[in-house]
Amino acid sequence: MMGQFISQPLLGCVLAMTLGLGAGCSHRIELAAPTEATAPTNATVATDARMPLLLETIRVTHNGSSIAPPALLERQVLGAIEATRLFAQHYQSGHTQPDADQPRVTVRLSIDNVVEPHAGQAAWRGFVISASMFTLAPFISLNYDYATEMSLEMERWDGQIKRYHATSNGSAHYNLFGANPEIIEQLKGQVTEVCLSSLLNQVIQDSPFYLASKEQPQGSPIRTVSVGVRRSPTRAIPVSQPVAASSPQ
Amino acid sequence: MPFLTRVLTALALWSLIAATHLHAADSAPKITVGTQEVGLTAGYMLPHRLTKDHTTKQEGPAFMPSWMMTITDPLGNSWYRGQVSVGAEMVYIQFQEPILTHGFGFTPKIKYSFVALDRIRPYAEFAGGPFWTDLAGKIPEESSRFNFVLTAGVGISYFLTDQTALNIGYRFHHISNAGTRYPNLGLNASLPFGGFSFFF
Repeated sequence: MMGQFISQPLLGCVLAMTLGLGAGCSHRIELAAPTEATAPTNATVATDARMPLLLETIRVTHNGSSIAPPALLERQVLGAIEATRLFAQHYQSGHTQPDADQPRVTVRLSIDNVVEPHAGQAAWRGFVISASMFTLAPFISLNYDYATEMSLEMERWDGQIKRYHATSNGSAHYNLFGANPEIIEQLKGQVTEVCLSSLLNQVIQDSPFYLASKEQPQGSPIRTVSVGVRRSPTRAIPVSQPVAASSPQ
Repeated sequence: MPFLTRVLTALALWSLIAATHLHAADSAPKITVGTQEVGLTAGYMLPHRLTKDHTTKQEGPAFMPSWMMTITDPLGNSWYRGQVSVGAEMVYIQFQEPILTHGFGFTPKIKYSFVALDRIRPYAEFAGGPFWTDLAGKIPEESSRFNFVLTAGVGISYFLTDQTALNIGYRFHHISNAGTRYPNLGLNASLPFGGFSFFF
C-alpha cells in the first residue's frame, strides 16, 4: 500500500518530465505545395535521341543579395537533372566540357531564396522562456520560414529557348531544446527539392523538345528509357520527432 | 586571491597554447540558429558599498559554468548586427571576506553577441535567478539565506577556432531577497571575469 502511495506520484513526475522534455525537444517541418504543382509526369524516350546537357550557370540570391552558389546546391541540381534520365550526358561549367561542335542543351538556373527567421519573435519568446525558468519551453515554439523561387532557362542546340518557373516554401517549428542547425538545413533542403522537382516535372512534359529527331534505321530495334522526376514530397508533411531521432548518424 | 591568480594564469596560458596549436580558420565562425554553447567562467567579486548603510566588504572567487542556445540568425546590417542566445548558468561564489561562506545560484540568461567583427565578438548579457548563501544572517545587509541574484554585464569573445572562444568581461552583481525578509539592503559587487566557451 505504501509502495503504491509513493510510486504513483513518482510515476506521475517521471511521466510529466518525459512528456515535458519530449515536447520541449520536438520539431516539425511543414512544406507548402508548390504553386506550379502538376501531376508527376513520366515519358518513354528513345535512348539514342537523348542529347547532352550543359549546366552553364547557377545564379543564387539570398534575401535579394547575390551569393556564390554552394557546391552542395550545384550537386543537388545536377543530381536531380541526371535522375530524370532525359539527357545522355551531363556537363557542368568549370568541369569537363562537351566538344564545341557537339549539339547540346544548355541550362541556366536562377534561384532566389527568401529567409524569414522571425528573429525578433524568437528573441522575445526566448526571453519569456528564460524568465519562466524554462518551464514554458515545451509550450512556446520558435519558427523559421524559407522560400525559394527558381527560374530555369533551357536553350536547345538550335538556339530555341524555353523558360520554366517554380516556387516553394516551408516552415520549421521547433521548441527551444529542439533547436538544431540540422533542422534549418533540412527545411532548406526539402524546400529546394520540392521546387526543383516541380521545375523538372515541367521539363519532362516538354521532353520531345529536347530530343534529337532521328530516322530510325529499318529493322533496328528502338531502345528506350523511361524519364521522369525523382519522387519527392509535394505537399505539406508534418513531421514531429525528437531531434536525436532525425539526426544523421 | 592567490588561488584566483593561479586560475587566471592557467586560463591565459591555455589560451596561448590553444591559439598556437589549434588551426584557426580564416573565415568567421558560423554560429547559426540551434548552435549550442557551453562555457566555464571564473572571476573575482569586488564589493560596492552604495550607501552608508552598506558596511560589508564581501569578496571572493566566483565560478560560472553555463549553457546557451543561439535562437536567431544575425539581426541588423550595421555595427549592431548580432545574434540572441538564451540559456542558463550555475553560479558558485566563495565569500572569503568578511567570513568564509558560500553561495550557489541558478540563473537563466540572455545574451546579445555583436557579430560584425567576425572573430572578435563583443556581447552584452543579463541573468537572474535564485541564489542561496550562508553569508546572509551574518551580515547587516541580508537576513535570509534564500536570495536572488541579478547580473548585467559586457564582455568580448575572441574565437581561437571556429568552435572555441576566449571570453573576458565585466559584470555588475546584485544579491538581495526581493523583500521577502528584512533587512534587505542587498549586496552589490563588480565581477571581472575570464573563461572559455565551446560551440557545437
